[in-house]
Amino acid sequence: MGRTLPTITQQLSDTEAALVRFRRTLRKSDQYIFDGLFAAARCHTAAISQMDALLPFEAALLAILLEQAKEIAILRQKLETLDGSTHRLAD
Amino acid sequence: MAPLTGWLIDLYPNETDLALWLLADSGERLLLRMDFPITFYAAGDFSALRQAWRFLRDKGVILARETRRDLFTGERTVLAATVPRPASLPELFAELSAAFPALDYYDADVPLPLRFAARTGGGLLGRCRIDATGNRVAAIEALDSPWELDPQPIPLRVLELSPDVDPALRPPGRLRVKYGRVDYTISLEPFQSFEIALHATIHQFDPDLILSDYGDTWLLPRLTFNPNRDPAKDVLSRKAESYFAYGQVVYRGSQVYLFGRWHIDRKNAMLFGEYGLEGVLEQARVTGLGVQEMARKSPGAGITAMQMLTALRTGVLVPVVKQQAESAKTLDELIRADKGGMIYQPLIGVHEHVAQIDFASMYPSIMVNFNISPEKKGPALSGATIGSEVEGLIPQTLRPLLEKRLALKRRLAELDPRDCRAKSLKARAAALKWLLVVCFGYLGYKNARFGKIESHEAVTSISRELLLQAKETAEELGFTVLHMYIDCLFVQKPGCEQAADFSPLLAAIEQQTGIPIALEGVYRWVAFLPSKRDKRIPVPNRYFGVFLDGEIKYRGIELRRHDTPPFVAKVQLAVLQCLAGAKTLAQVQDYIPKAREIVEHSNRELRAGRVPLEDLVITQRLSRDVNAYKFPSPAARAARQWIDAGKSVAPGQVMRFVFTRGKPGVWAAGVGELDERTVDVGRYIRLSESAAGTIWGALIELIKMVTDGFHL
Repeated sequence: MGRTLPTITQQLSDTEAALVRFRRTLRKSDQYIFDGLFAAARCHTAAISQMDALLPFEAALLAILLEQAKEIAILRQKLETLDGSTHRLAD
Repeated sequence: MAPLTGWLIDLYPNETDLALWLLADSGERLLLRMDFPITFYAAGDFSALRQAWRFLRDKGVILARETRRDLFTGERTVLAATVPRPASLPELFAELSAAFPALDYYDADVPLPLRFAARTGGGLLGRCRIDATGNRVAAIEALDSPWELDPQPIPLRVLELSPDVDPALRPPGRLRVKYGRVDYTISLEPFQSFEIALHATIHQFDPDLILSDYGDTWLLPRLTFNPNRDPAKDVLSRKAESYFAYGQVVYRGSQVYLFGRWHIDRKNAMLFGEYGLEGVLEQARVTGLGVQEMARKSPGAGITAMQMLTALRTGVLVPVVKQQAESAKTLDELIRADKGGMIYQPLIGVHEHVAQIDFASMYPSIMVNFNISPEKKGPALSGATIGSEVEGLIPQTLRPLLEKRLALKRRLAELDPRDCRAKSLKARAAALKWLLVVCFGYLGYKNARFGKIESHEAVTSISRELLLQAKETAEELGFTVLHMYIDCLFVQKPGCEQAADFSPLLAAIEQQTGIPIALEGVYRWVAFLPSKRDKRIPVPNRYFGVFLDGEIKYRGIELRRHDTPPFVAKVQLAVLQCLAGAKTLAQVQDYIPKAREIVEHSNRELRAGRVPLEDLVITQRLSRDVNAYKFPSPAARAARQWIDAGKSVAPGQVMRFVFTRGKPGVWAAGVGELDERTVDVGRYIRLSESAAGTIWGALIELIKMVTDGFHL
């Protein structure tokens, strides 16, 4: 209500819409991963919005990278825990 | 004659002067009269002003040249026109403004009760002392103020009238009449006898307030006798209308106003369900607008009235139309400024031992603390000049309101929830809350007389900064911030499980931001739901949870939607209440079979035709003209049935209907009788199962995520 500019959520949807032919050409399994990238960006719309950027897609890419880095860190944690338990088993 | 004391309950213009109704301490209801000349102002081009002067001189208006203060442009030379009879102002002003449209007009459309309050210091619902000669007021003195926390209650006589059924569904047969300890029903047929009985009741009991259901739209327009206390006045009826507000078309039914006593239609009163009569009285008192107006108008009208009163009291002119447009901005500036409150994306999942903390009246507090007002420029709007300047019009208006609400809330917190005063305090605090809530919107509203979009933007900008400061403070103290939404935060920290565990955090945030913050409650568990479209996407403000005391809270789910039929809402609420029995997340699984049984039981009831029709009714607003729908929504199809039955339908009107099998798929309430065998039982079952699934489906899935998940 009462806003002149589109919100970040709207801008992300517009970007997604602009990429619709790109997405369509991907394999179905890749499409799911592709959608996940946008889902990752949508986890940080508040932060992207704080950037006051004319074109917020750069900040959205950072948000996607951030979520990936987080995923990697979590997987690493899991691996270490698993490693620990296999070592214990071996002992 | 000895001075009269009592409550002022009504005032309005009559032919020659002002009529006042005093509910005297003696118990009498007295009609008094008072001379009340009214002054308004015109300013602008000198030659046009001269012509306006001549125009008014010929109409017996008293004229003078004065210097008055415009809030935005400062001192201004104006033509002051004083009308001896208040009743003649609207017509005179309409003629004048049509003849001289280029002039700026001030104080010409200020509601009479506000002028009265500004001039006498007393107001509607306030106690006063009146010196009168006969029935003519010589002097009036206010004995209390709207800001008193414990005003002496007004000994109102209330007559309640309600039909046995919603007249939109079927013609009512009987009317329930309630006053004092008397409670009975009268038959509406034959209508003449009904009228005689009702008239006698009104005459005998002489109510100050007629509190009705459907009185505006159904009962009062049908009466052939005059229900006013002042027999010289006719009932004032306002027609139904559709208008555009807050991004949607709103429909307001016709309204019936009385003189000397009040009429409130509970079904046509804004937010009556939210705060009841107690809240309406509170709003009427602090805004000065009067009970009948305030009950039917939005809180926005109330806050505008309060701003006008501040202006009148401080000698600031009240413009008839808004004169301040948005300042020019570069694209960069616009991108920086054009943003709302901070809306964070929650961490999807079910979380245990979560505290929700809310800034109390955050936006109004910002306006008051940072002196945000539309007449302030540049640095003042960034909050750089806190306390160093004269208090602006908006903070001046808001400060007492904000302080009163906080004081009521403090008192409420000290009371035992079972205390009989708690309900009334709660209603009054809620009524004030609504005034505070809309005040922020009115800073940016395009027609607000004392609004400027830049001050609106300044408030949201400061609020985002404060919320970030709160987040940082919480994180420094080792809390995880699960969600933030405009003025509240959801935080969690291992070991913090009781309210007291969060006190240091509250103190730290309050110290950092300067805005009071309070604990809404500690959740045993709270679920933040993902988007329906993609489970990986978090959705702000869509959650449900259970507080430590077992109370449940939910946002953004079917239960909160206005167009969810009561049958579905009840099933969803029952499921949620059932699962809320689980003290820990681990126990939730044990409650799911019971929740399933609730849904199956209600489905059986529905199939057996034992669910009351009212529970199947869906309420949906018509967003546009019926013919403008490309694919008619169920509400539009219901509207079509209304039109076919010869009834009129306007955009914004709320349609009530039941889903039926076959075409057109709906039965519009009020169009003939529904054949209950045609109810689309399958559709209602699907709706209720989906609503129940929102709760347990999400819970099961989210609990799994937590138990096998790793978190950073």
